[in-house]
Amino acid sequence: MSGSRLLLGGRWGRGRLLRWAIGGLAAVAILVWSAQGVNLNLREFIRGLPWVADLISRMVPPNWEFLPRLGRPVLETIQIALWGTLLSMALALPLGLLAARNLSPNLTLYHLTRQALNLLRGINEFVFALIFVAAVGLGPFAGVLSLAIHGAGLLGKFYADAIEEIDAGPVEALRATGARPLQVFVFGVLPQVIPAWIASTLYRFEVNLRAATILGMIGAGGIGFELYGSMKLFQYRDTATCVLVILAMVMTADYVSSRLRTKILAG
Amino acid sequence: MIEILGLTKAYGALPALNGITMTVPAGEMCVILGPSGAGKSTLLRCVNQLVAPSGGGVRVNGRAAPTNRAQLRELRAGIGMIFQHHNLVPRLSVLKNVLSGRLARLPLWSSVLQIFPREDIAIAMAALARVGLADRAEDRADRLSGGQQQRVGIARALAQQPQVILADEPVASLDPKTAQVVLNDLRAAAHELQIAVLCNLHQVDLARQFADRIVGIAAGQIVFDGPPADLDDAALARIYPELETQAA
Repeated sequence: MSGSRLLLGGRWGRGRLLRWAIGGLAAVAILVWSAQGVNLNLREFIRGLPWVADLISRMVPPNWEFLPRLGRPVLETIQIALWGTLLSMALALPLGLLAARNLSPNLTLYHLTRQALNLLRGINEFVFALIFVAAVGLGPFAGVLSLAIHGAGLLGKFYADAIEEIDAGPVEALRATGARPLQVFVFGVLPQVIPAWIASTLYRFEVNLRAATILGMIGAGGIGFELYGSMKLFQYRDTATCVLVILAMVMTADYVSSRLRTKILAG
Repeated sequence: MIEILGLTKAYGALPALNGITMTVPAGEMCVILGPSGAGKSTLLRCVNQLVAPSGGGVRVNGRAAPTNRAQLRELRAGIGMIFQHHNLVPRLSVLKNVLSGRLARLPLWSSVLQIFPREDIAIAMAALARVGLADRAEDRADRLSGGQQQRVGIARALAQQPQVILADEPVASLDPKTAQVVLNDLRAAAHELQIAVLCNLHQVDLARQFADRIVGIAAGQIVFDGPPADLDDAALARIYPELETQAA
């Protein structure tokens, strides 16, 4: 008895121990229930391993003949990410200003904008892509629109949060000189938020590029179309080439953008 | 010239100022002396309407309180303000910080694009030269020391070519030596440019050294008003009542 008390420490009363036991049991129950829901099965996995190995064996060596055909889709993927990011930036700027509590002209507008941003952010870009494919047809434009709309929700929140974190002192000082609101914004707010804004926009571009590589699977343009097509045609060596190209593209973008971001945030 | 008549201010039920009446003529360095929480900062902010007075009036250069935004900006354009934490924009150059004192007088769009007329740059450079920092104009503001940043703050106020300067504890976060330099700059501006300077301080010795006139405030009321020579122990006891009881 004294041993266990020593182990658990004095503050572990009986009531607390009971609460922890109940909580632990509930957690285990939820995990087991979820495992059944998703057919979590180690035996199935082990039984499937040879098939995975077989698939991989059919992917090597990658078909380098396929590489030239990927030039255009790769460019298209980058173009989708670029315009998706640019358009979401353009949408996020006004929304971000309204959603910053210390800048928003009135509280109702502030709450409305925050909710609108939550909504845009809450719906996955692929859901948007499905909607836009139906609306504007198959192709990269649907992908651009979906990245723009979902990204506007994310960037708008980033922009607004950055504005809410600024030092209010310079803003008060500028107001005290009789400067007009736009001047106060350009001289007092913008210099304080611009590094964070650029960094979050660059990060958004990275994410958009990754998203753009698979948008093609639902017909919204980019390299994902080739990836999906090659698998459907059982051309697994072509699939391997696609995967490697995507990897190279995403890693390059991550590297360049993270270097830029650290540079901007430091300077 | 600043004329304050029966000024009161309350934050909700909390009174901050209780009937302040005083006049600061052009060219006078007037120091407001008092313990923290006495209402010094509120008094200053009522002059340029950063805080809206609850009652009474403030006239700056004979003009009554503004009734619309344009008048408010016009009022503020003529009043320079210096803050305890200088409130410069750290990522902007020293010159741009000083030029921001010109914004109220400049056309909106060109100023937003950071295009400044030659004469405004000359005014800003002259203001910088006055505080001895003309050679730092191109440096980023956050590269300067605390004392230098505060002097840039003074230059920004001077660039407004104001008739009035409000200084809210301008040396509270500076070392004693730098404090001397900053207050010296401020007094020189008052005397040489005929500016009415209203400066909050809580250090008695600095007030004695630099003020043309001292106004003592305690609990939102004026308890002393006169030249530094008249600031005797009895007057100090009225300004700092807590100090007296502690000593006794």
